[in-house]
Formats: sequence, structure tokens, C-alpha cells
Amino acid sequence: MENTTHFGFKNVATKDKQNLVKGVFDSVASNYDLMNDVLSFGMHRLWKRYTIASSNVKTGDKVLDIAGGTGDLAIEFRKKVGESGQVILSDINAAMLGEGRKNLINKGVFGVEFVQLNAQYLPFEDNTFDCISIAFGLRNVTNKDQALSEMNRILKPGGCLLILEFSKTDSELLEKFYDFYSFNVMPKLGGIIADDEESYQYLAESIRKHPDQETLKDMVLDAGFGFCEYHNLSGGIVALHKGIKV
Amino acid sequence: MQHFVLEQALNFLIQTGSIDTTPLDSKIIQFSLQDLPLDVNFICTNERIFVVSDTAKSADVDIELKSSVFFALFKGEDLTELLRQDKIKIHGDVKTAQLLVDMLEAVDIDLEEALSQYTGDIVAHEVGKIAKKIKQTAQKSNNIFDTLKDSLGDLIINPSVSKLHKNKHH
Repeated sequence: MENTTHFGFKNVATKDKQNLVKGVFDSVASNYDLMNDVLSFGMHRLWKRYTIASSNVKTGDKVLDIAGGTGDLAIEFRKKVGESGQVILSDINAAMLGEGRKNLINKGVFGVEFVQLNAQYLPFEDNTFDCISIAFGLRNVTNKDQALSEMNRILKPGGCLLILEFSKTDSELLEKFYDFYSFNVMPKLGGIIADDEESYQYLAESIRKHPDQETLKDMVLDAGFGFCEYHNLSGGIVALHKGIKV
Repeated sequence: MQHFVLEQALNFLIQTGSIDTTPLDSKIIQFSLQDLPLDVNFICTNERIFVVSDTAKSADVDIELKSSVFFALFKGEDLTELLRQDKIKIHGDVKTAQLLVDMLEAVDIDLEEALSQYTGDIVAHEVGKIAKKIKQTAQKSNNIFDTLKDSLGDLIINPSVSKLHKNKHH
């Protein structure tokens, strides 16, 4: 059987997915923050605030934000780690990283390092970071198991992994509304605001293909983390998984 | 949510130097609440404490108690006395348990209120909390809109714990 994976609802050759995802994010990068605010009604800011609060990051910590895009999390981590700490904002996509750099400069945030990387091959030594975050990025990674294993490798013992990602709601009513919104409203808004209906259709589809809460929890544990727990936010539309390396 | 509150409080105390976790490094301490469908596990590692509801690892110390006794620990109830009265059972090193209990005593939060979601109506509980917060702030400030924004934000985000069931270990 040919080595295939999903790209939204389509099956594509595994080797092609990375480039297809790159195309989507090249296209949405310049409107990314605006679209996040519009599509989530600003909720993404609350979800990220909860993620930061859950991180237990403190002064002097080393933090890696993967798929960090426009740098929302990196900005807050920077405040927490202080001058003695280190924050690396990373993304596989150069356009997104460029937006992140612009955003941080505009907000007067300095001292964050930028690295373009693939989450499946993290260019860091073992036991380096106190915390790794990946917000709304894991579902776009081709080989999630490999990426999780890499994250476990470069976290220090006792280090914490935070995965903020769209997930599965357990409310039937909310699910119906969410499905309608995702497949009928979201792509249309993407077309009107960002002139890119197709990319937002992919984003809606990719959310449905992402593992549910329990499956992702098992994947985190299988990657070598000693503990993993998740918290549903907004009825499970989003979940925060927290893994701890032992 | 109560795990989150407790974890935040403990790590705040660690950051401010009010408590020292060094003697508990790499320890897992489990509180098994006999009358509520949840456990509270304290994982002490990397100079911080994680509070989780279930663990894939076995605990170094397992403390069995009723929720009322658990709350009492936060109010400074003496562990030795509770042991003597058979209100608490400790499987493992008592000294380790005592070190954690000493830390919990330093936490100034109303955990009973945070835990009431397991025994009461969560919506009423959350709305009640918000109403209380608005009332308190309104007395101090004219900016009711900021208060409402923060309070509703707290409610909308509505984090709920992943596991409410005991003994689901991998």
C-alpha cells in the first residue's frame, strides 16, 4: 500500500503533505491574527491565556514554542522567564515566522529567538527545555508520533509539554452548531476577509481529522511522557493536553 | 478546575520562595478521596509541583481520606492527630506526606469552594461566583465593564478536568 496520509479530508502521499500545509500557511500568514479573532470570536486569546497559566513557567526557564506563528504565546512566555530565561519561537513556515517577528517588534518584545524548524526533527540537545508548547499546530504535523517523541527527548526531566488544539466536543447540540459553522461559515469568511476560501476549508477539515482527546492523550504517553492530562475548553471544541516528562 | 487552582497556588508559593520543594523532588503523592470520584496527585519535579487527577505511575505515598479531612489539612489540621483518630491512612513514607501537608497548609485558597462543582450545580456555582465577584468589585470600582469582561471570560473558557473516574491507570 502506498504511504499516504490525510490532508483535510483528502488522502495524499505522505511526502507531499508538508508542502501542501506550507501552501495553506503561506496563504493565510498575513491575515492569520485577524482571522483567528474573527473565526473564534476572540476566544483563542482566552484559550492561550489558560495555556500560559497552566505552564508553570518561571523565571530562568527555557521555553520552546513550536508552530508559534505570530508569537502570541512566545510574548507571554518571554514575560514569565525574564532576562535569565530563554524563549525560542519556532515554525516550519517562513512566512508565519516572518509575521511573528514583525508582531514582536511591533509590540516591543525583544529577546525572543526565532528558529525555522520541522517539529519531527528538533535541532536541540536532549534534556534542554523546561517547557514546550504547540498551539493549533500539531494537527498539521505529518508524523505526530515522531514529533511528540522528539519533544519528549528535548524536554528536561520534569519538563512540561502543552498541546493546545481543536478537539471533539461532547455536546451533541454544540457539535451540530460547530459543524455548520466550520463547513459553511468559516470558509466563506475566509473568502471574504482573506480572499482564501480553500485554505479555511482545509482548516475545518483538518480539525475533524485530528485525534480526539483520549487518543491524543495515549499518543503523548506512548511518546514516553510519564503523565498526561487534558482539559476541555469551551465544551471540548479545544483541549489543552499537558504532558510531563519523568 | 480545582487541580488548576491548587497547582497555581502551590507554584506561586514556590516562585516567591515561601515553600521549598527540594525535599520532595521526584516524589509522587496521591490523595485518594474516598467520598468523591477523583484523586488528587502531586508530582514534585523540576522545582515545581504539578497537580493531576490521574497518573500512569504508581505514587510514592498514597493517602486515603475523606474530602472533609482533605479540606481540613488546608486549615492546619494536625496530620499526626488525624492519623491517631484513624481519619487518614498513609501507605508509604509518613515523613514525605508530612512535608507535603505542611506545604498545603501554606496555600491560602478556598478549595472547598473549588471542589463544590463535584457535589453541586456547576452552572449555579459559577454564576454565583461571578455575581459575588461583581458585587465585591462594584463596591471598590466604577468600572463594572472590566469586571464583567473578566468574569464572563472565566466562565466561557470553562476548563473541565479530563478524568473524573478513579483507578483508570495505563
